[in-house]
Amino acid sequence: MPHVPTDPDVYEVFAQNGLGKTLGHVGSIVSPCPDAAWHLAKETYGRRDDLATLWVVRRADMTVSGGDDGDLLAAKTRMPHRQPGFPTARRRDRSAAASSPAAVILPTAAVPPAAVAPPATAPPATAALPATAASPATVAPPRFRDSAPPERRDDARGAGGSELSDLWLLLADDLFVLGNRLGERIVDYIDLEESLAVGSIGQEALAHAGTILVLSGFDQPAADAWFFDRPQGRWRVSRAIERLTDWPSTVACGLVIAAAVTVLAERTVAVEPGEGWLPAITAVRDEQLVHLDHWRRWARALAAFPETRAEFARAYAEVTERAGDMFGARPQGGSALAVTLHERFAALVGENGGPGSRMPDRPLARTAGVGGSALAYCLSRGRMVRDDYAPGVFQ
Amino acid sequence: MAMAIAAGHRRYELWDPMPDEVREGARRFATVQALNELVGVLPFAEWLDRAPSHTRRQMLMAKIQDEVGHGHVAARVAEDLGMPRERILQDYLDGRAKVHNIFHYSFATWEELGPGLLLMNSAAIIQFQSLMKGVYLPYARALRKIEREESFHYQHALDLTHEVLTHGDAEQRRRVREGFELWLPRVLAYLGPPDTDTLHANRMWLIGLKPDGNDALRQAWLNKIIPVFLKLGVHVDPALVRQAPSGEWEFAMPDWAEVKKVIAGGGPASQRRLDWVRNALDRNTRYRRALRGVS
Repeated sequence: MPHVPTDPDVYEVFAQNGLGKTLGHVGSIVSPCPDAAWHLAKETYGRRDDLATLWVVRRADMTVSGGDDGDLLAAKTRMPHRQPGFPTARRRDRSAAASSPAAVILPTAAVPPAAVAPPATAPPATAALPATAASPATVAPPRFRDSAPPERRDDARGAGGSELSDLWLLLADDLFVLGNRLGERIVDYIDLEESLAVGSIGQEALAHAGTILVLSGFDQPAADAWFFDRPQGRWRVSRAIERLTDWPSTVACGLVIAAAVTVLAERTVAVEPGEGWLPAITAVRDEQLVHLDHWRRWARALAAFPETRAEFARAYAEVTERAGDMFGARPQGGSALAVTLHERFAALVGENGGPGSRMPDRPLARTAGVGGSALAYCLSRGRMVRDDYAPGVFQ
Repeated sequence: MAMAIAAGHRRYELWDPMPDEVREGARRFATVQALNELVGVLPFAEWLDRAPSHTRRQMLMAKIQDEVGHGHVAARVAEDLGMPRERILQDYLDGRAKVHNIFHYSFATWEELGPGLLLMNSAAIIQFQSLMKGVYLPYARALRKIEREESFHYQHALDLTHEVLTHGDAEQRRRVREGFELWLPRVLAYLGPPDTDTLHANRMWLIGLKPDGNDALRQAWLNKIIPVFLKLGVHVDPALVRQAPSGEWEFAMPDWAEVKKVIAGGGPASQRRLDWVRNALDRNTRYRRALRGVS
């Protein structure tokens, strides 16, 4: 994790060899004081050059990345849609697939409202959903899961057991709705830095939701059908989603969802999941821990500030009470696994330093059709353009 | 230490002594840009929750985040020059600052979004490539970052337009063409009134903050973007824009009185934008204070 180095006399040196050139790190020096440090740096790194700019920064005043931050810093690889060449590659792949005799565009309208079962072998983990038409490995249409209750579904797929797999699919739904809501918050201008933060957390929430579906064997059309075409009555989001409204509630929802995903990821990693799951779920866990820290900072700030204290306490109590169903994948809501996960979840939520949690002692069952206006709005808006187009147009 | 460059202008870092006119001009440019990024993202943000696939939604969200990020880096440049960031949006609400004409409109359809974005992003790239040659280096560096990301947005807009033109039905493709014809005159006007005859008396040009004139930028932009639409298969009406044998682009001159009226708040979405910003600030001020009131 990023840390603050503690060498008090060491100064890092940044120099620019000419205007228009990049100011870059050139090395470090040891100095008893800042003034002397600048002159020492000039003699050390600029004695043969005409420098345009020279900065020295005390190492102890810097926050620097560590060796294990590589995944967090790899924005391109973990968020392929941010890559400059992504749109071009998408078009190229789609054109190539369209001219291939093996190409299959799944008719969206044919996807039943029930869940979609994966192919027997889950594809490699990636945040990018594989396009059916572009991925020979996933060209075959997915099997459609029947509408039987979860405990009767075919055992899935490498997460370490079907209950874990079902829980991941439920959390994917929560992440999808949260990601969309945070996307709207980018232009809410609470603070410019916060706009950028919720933009990244929102994109990562969507990416994690997509990753979970990929791991569960969904290809891109099936994932889109899952998120965009299922009627609300088939969704089983946490009841916390109903409170995804104002900012204090959004903070509380963000916190409980990040905590829940972290807990499930820890458990999944511990049970030695199938191929592809371990690196993907480890990355999800690491990013959700960063989200959890973010929301905790906000929780502490809102709880401590006199103008927002009561409002946040109310929102937090309501959200944590509703979040008692996070691990209630089974109708009875109280399997041994669910109880274990719930206890860890309640402890993690309780560590935020804000107001008291009203998390129930035991996990409650999730029920279909909840989500209130927050989910209804998300789904209806998401279908407005989609419903005007022929199946398979959008990828 | 300010340094001389070939064109005769000196270039400046934040802490360099510089003429008040340069400092004030740079502050004004950065402030105007920050405001236009922060308000100008709203027409696209309105479509985020309608983006029709998981991937498209991620791509559009990334673009919206980038645009707000552009507002942020421009606001940081302005802040360093003495413009508090809170005032950027407040001046807009109070009528002391205006946004460009193109941000006083909304996109009526999904099909309009692609060509509208393509026209806007390409014009912005041309404009930023010019402004980054200006004499205030922190702003030039901010523009370099912004321009790079605008290139991503250009590719996204191209992909969005291409998707509808390639896979949409005849009616949807027709709406793309209509979107192009609707937004072309607006973006022509966005690049500013004709100035070839007056540029050399413009103070911003004289002090090196505005390296190129509006007419030159408009020609460079048309030279880049019209062939792109032709390649996409979009009919370009010669009554709107055509290339003369000399290579120069001729176009229907915008109604500048109308453009002025729109910028003054008379556009179809002018009030909506103001209402959005006012509501957002009213709704969230106490949370911002909470964030800053606690270490």
